[in-house]
Amino acid sequence: MIEVRDLAKHFPVHRREPGLRAALRSLVRREYHTVRAVEQVSFTIPEGEVVGFLGPNGAGKTTTLKCLTGLLHPTAGTVRVLGHTPHRREPAFLRRISLVMGQRNALFWDLPAADAFEVNRAIYGLAEAPYRSALDELVALLELEPLLGKQVRVLSLGERMRCELAGALLHRPDVLFLDEPTLGLDVNGQAAVRTFLRDYNGRFGATILLTSHYMADVTALARRVLVIDHGTLRFDGDLAALVEAHSPHRLIRVTLREPAPAHTWTGFGELAAVDGAVVTLLVPRAETAAIAARLLTTLPVEDVAIEDPPVEDIIRAVFADA
Amino acid sequence: MRDLLAAYPPLVRSATQLAVTYRGRTILGVITGFFPLLTMAVWLTVVAEAGPPAGWTTGDFLSYYAAATLLWNLSGDQVVWQWDADMRSGDLSVRLLRPVHPFHQYATSNLGHRLVSLTMLVPVLVIAALLVPGLDYPTNPVRLAATALALALAYAVGLTMASTFALIGFWSTQTTNAWMLWWGLGSFTSGWVAPLALMPDWVRTAAAILPFRTTMGFPVELLMGRLDVRQTLFGFAVGLGWLAVFALLYRIIWRRGIRRYQAVAG
Repeated sequence: MIEVRDLAKHFPVHRREPGLRAALRSLVRREYHTVRAVEQVSFTIPEGEVVGFLGPNGAGKTTTLKCLTGLLHPTAGTVRVLGHTPHRREPAFLRRISLVMGQRNALFWDLPAADAFEVNRAIYGLAEAPYRSALDELVALLELEPLLGKQVRVLSLGERMRCELAGALLHRPDVLFLDEPTLGLDVNGQAAVRTFLRDYNGRFGATILLTSHYMADVTALARRVLVIDHGTLRFDGDLAALVEAHSPHRLIRVTLREPAPAHTWTGFGELAAVDGAVVTLLVPRAETAAIAARLLTTLPVEDVAIEDPPVEDIIRAVFADA
Repeated sequence: MRDLLAAYPPLVRSATQLAVTYRGRTILGVITGFFPLLTMAVWLTVVAEAGPPAGWTTGDFLSYYAAATLLWNLSGDQVVWQWDADMRSGDLSVRLLRPVHPFHQYATSNLGHRLVSLTMLVPVLVIAALLVPGLDYPTNPVRLAATALALALAYAVGLTMASTFALIGFWSTQTTNAWMLWWGLGSFTSGWVAPLALMPDWVRTAAAILPFRTTMGFPVELLMGRLDVRQTLFGFAVGLGWLAVFALLYRIIWRRGIRRYQAVAG
């Protein structure tokens, strides 16, 4: 479905010092340096899988997505998506994929959403019946009915993103690339988009590759994650394995009947947070069960909960380790 | 190819909708469509004060610039500005992800806008041709048919030339400036600055083989009945030749340029 082998993408970038003198000098002599945005990246994604693509800003996530969708020609390596070489941009390939970019409008800005969808129908050469069926379904799922007559440019960010998703899915793509699809949305908007994407994957078996800075997007949708940093793939595997590999600790949240002095916790673990009678302890992963049992038997515990540290912290640890 | 042809009407329709979205912009677009009449006013003043230059009377200038107004509104150079804006904003990426080549997306967009201009312009020109004394064209059906073909060729050459120029955007951010320089130089041989009949011999010789005359002077002269059969056929041959050249150049430059595309701005 998606095969990436030793992908590299380098950009020549013009660089100059700040100031008027440097600006004038650059008129005569230009200095370029090469940005290695992606280097030696390899992975395979089978049909129907949802994969989260994680990394800090400038790590190479979007560049990789752009190579996978054919927007960029790789400097080296090979990319195959649905049996096509993306950068050839064959119409048969482009009809089977979609790239949704949270910060970019792909619908016609000045047209009402309904007209913008009609344009997409023409562009993707959709017959009336399948188009109508897909549109009705998307309108119902994404609650677009009140938005159809409004110009895209007057929609709120959340409304626009729902319309963007509908526009991107009218042709029922087999592979969906999502670059920050919930960027700027409120909590309800994020949840709606996640639910919709999970449903779309379940119903049509679409392959989804998703980048997001909201870990909740990734944890809600993807079991497998790719972690990229400085253009290099640092991790490829189950989210649970990533957590285990990069977080030697777990958190035990203990609720006592009443607040206890700090020395109470000596020997149990490191105090991560104290909020009245609720205390969070950081404990070695291997000793979690034993410590929890000891807490229950030695202290007046009302409740105890064991959890992994936030995935954001773990991802941060991955990058710090790198 | 069938898919592409099927996509044209709805894409042109949507571009037409876009072109009439804003009333102010639509009205300004129609007003600027009459811009060649300003040049005509200059020449009419010249005729009034210094007599007909090279035998060109008031009626000749009226006929020439009324037809030139039509050609002015068949220009394809909007593509250059649209391309430049899309390249800077990153919207070209959106176009590249669609299964219709960007050339056709820009072409249909341009056609939609042109249709709006022409819908308002053509009735005005027809009424003017009927009512204004001196504004007169031979009504030979063969000549009118040939003129219609020349207008289509003018549009096609103008559009492919502008589209080819727009591809400079893969290498430089100065596409519109480069186009203005090219268009400015070309306006001397297109018949825009002055009818080519009034230009020096060497300019006329150059104009006969350069692409610019196809986009304005040739259809206008044909409509005015100033070309014989041999000159007409030569004009079509030159236009078709340039159409082939620009189409070929477009393909070559596209293949090289798209490899350099950096998909900036998101």
